[in-house]
Amino acid sequence: MPDVPGTGQLVLLYAAAGIFTLALLFSLLRFFNAEKTSLRTTAKVCIYLGILMGIAVITWRALNRHSWLPLDDNFDALIWLGLLLALFLTYMQRAHPLGGLDLFLLPIVVLVLVLAGIFGRTKPRAYLETTWSLTHLIAAFGGVVAFAVAAAGGVMYLVKSQQLRRKKMLSGQGLGSLERIEHLTFVSVSLGFALLTVGLVTGLVRAIDTHGHNSLGPDWYRNPKVLLAFIAWIVYALVLHSPINPSFRGRRAAILSVVGFVLMIGTVVAVQYMPSH
Amino acid sequence: MPKLSLLGLNHTTAPLEVREKLAFNAQQQSAALAQFRQKFTSSEMILISTCNRVEMYAATDAQGEPGIRQMIEFLAEFHDVPSSTFADHIYQKADREVVEHLFSVASSLDSMVLGETQILGQVRQAYESARAAQLAGPVLHPLFQRAISVGKQVMHQTPLAEGRVSVASVAVEYARNIFEHFGDKTVLAIGAGKMSELVLQGYVSLGAGKLLVCNRTADKAQELAAQFKGQSVAFEKLAEHLVAADIVVSSTGAAHPIITRTMFDGLLRQRRYRPIFLIDIAVPRDIEPAVGEIENVYLYNLDDLQEVVSRTQAQRKDAVAAARAIINAQLEDYLASQRQRELGPAIQQLYTRYHQIAQEELARTLNKLPNVSEAERAHLEDLARRIVNKLLHDPIQVLRRTDEMHLPASQYLHALEKLFQLDALSSDQNDSAPPTLPPDSEDGQAP
Repeated sequence: MPDVPGTGQLVLLYAAAGIFTLALLFSLLRFFNAEKTSLRTTAKVCIYLGILMGIAVITWRALNRHSWLPLDDNFDALIWLGLLLALFLTYMQRAHPLGGLDLFLLPIVVLVLVLAGIFGRTKPRAYLETTWSLTHLIAAFGGVVAFAVAAAGGVMYLVKSQQLRRKKMLSGQGLGSLERIEHLTFVSVSLGFALLTVGLVTGLVRAIDTHGHNSLGPDWYRNPKVLLAFIAWIVYALVLHSPINPSFRGRRAAILSVVGFVLMIGTVVAVQYMPSH
Repeated sequence: MPKLSLLGLNHTTAPLEVREKLAFNAQQQSAALAQFRQKFTSSEMILISTCNRVEMYAATDAQGEPGIRQMIEFLAEFHDVPSSTFADHIYQKADREVVEHLFSVASSLDSMVLGETQILGQVRQAYESARAAQLAGPVLHPLFQRAISVGKQVMHQTPLAEGRVSVASVAVEYARNIFEHFGDKTVLAIGAGKMSELVLQGYVSLGAGKLLVCNRTADKAQELAAQFKGQSVAFEKLAEHLVAADIVVSSTGAAHPIITRTMFDGLLRQRRYRPIFLIDIAVPRDIEPAVGEIENVYLYNLDDLQEVVSRTQAQRKDAVAAARAIINAQLEDYLASQRQRELGPAIQQLYTRYHQIAQEELARTLNKLPNVSEAERAHLEDLARRIVNKLLHDPIQVLRRTDEMHLPASQYLHALEKLFQLDALSSDQNDSAPPTLPPDSEDGQAP
């Protein structure tokens, strides 16, 4: 059984969250002072530092547990989620820069790390009993990463759209074009939807398969995490069907992407407080 | 003495809703000039009407007409709008301020888009129209000639026009906020004027996939479309073209909106709710403002472009300072030449009169000195000439500096005529050959 995170690990985790918060502040300052390249560099350094600190926590935990698969509990998984988001951000900054993406992704990174710190104090549970469990967990968390990016894209779309409607262009670098933000959101939702579907199916199979009976109980369809995950799935399905029904494109799709991510976060929380038997 | 006055409103003082009510198209401009000439027979007037400004430049007659109040009434009556609708948005200037303002206008410093060259053409066109209507006389003719020259000088000698931000480039910048790729986009230009051409040029350089030109006069549309390898389309099928378009630039001279909310509502489903960028740079507006309230429709009019423009203006302080320096130098030079024009004849009369007196007195003295040699006579004549020049030097210098002292030259001129009885001399000389100014003397005190 994995251990409860130690105080040192928690301190390091919160320090990483603090560093990402600093990166967010520098990114904000840079957004309004595009000419100050030093702010940009500082923000990047903070992000890299935050990633290193997150990896250090994971490594420390792995050494304690003698297990190198960092998905044993939600503490590890949420840190990974945050780190994957941060890594995705650095990849985007380097390969396909999208103005303002850091402003919308970094808050999610910070939120996820803080959530990891809070959940890390709860009693740990082993997840990886079967291949189904492993698949379920990887798919579910992969989906959440994709939906986090989609949510960031959704908020960006709403902000940008509002800017254009009010005819107030922000000074400095500015956000990317609506078309690009919409594309990022749509691709993220598509990927997340596929992973969530796999996560839902494997989760249900795992629940039945573990002990030969349904671990979610006879009323499994009323289980909040199942319900939340299913509602999120419906919401994302609506976003994805916007090419068929274009009235769902644009602002509606952006709002739904944000709503879906809130539901996904709710699902993650529900997993903690309403575990399967 | 004619007085210069200006009544106007522009994009900084009046919103588009007000400006479009007072704008003059070409026909209205001709009609307005004709009416003005009929009403104020001995005054001069030049009317500048662009998307961003309506300005009446007038040189008043001996009765001081038209006054500002009369100009306001003229505008209100012509457009049949109550003066209260625009009274709060107008500005008025007189004499020196008028000259300074016109130079700034011609140099694009007063434009929404700094460094744009269109305004110079519009000032020239306004001047030509007034000249054709025989309303550009001895006051406004040299003023506008000089303004056009100043505008050219600023464009050529300052970096203001380099990398200038035009309405077209601003429209392109806005489009980049909505679209990432342009190769698959359709740009529709409604109206085939200069503005459409400029905007199309901007989108061609972005690699726009398809260009459509829609104009009431098909020939013009074809000509413009051919220039950019686009396609001219029928104005009557505007709705169909709106379905295909991703970017629409409208700049017709229509008096009423040609794209309405009702019309656009009916197109949304056919458009599959695709985002559309509508740029309405017409005055009066071509697109109903309510169209901009529709989801995924981004409508911008001329005033909306101000945001981007003001940002670029802040970045071009050096260019503006260079342009201002030229304007100030030209302003002083123009005013000095105008003072010279006003005072020149009086100064000439003054010199003629006093040199004549000196010659008379010299002749009388020489008559009493029979043994004066030719050399001595020449010395005495030179003495008399120099005394007159020295005596007149200071008052003449003061006269020439009246504008620097913020005093109207006319006051001094009037005093000069009375004190030295130049009126009488002037009437005497009207029958004789015009007097000539004394040649430059070695002591540099000639006028």
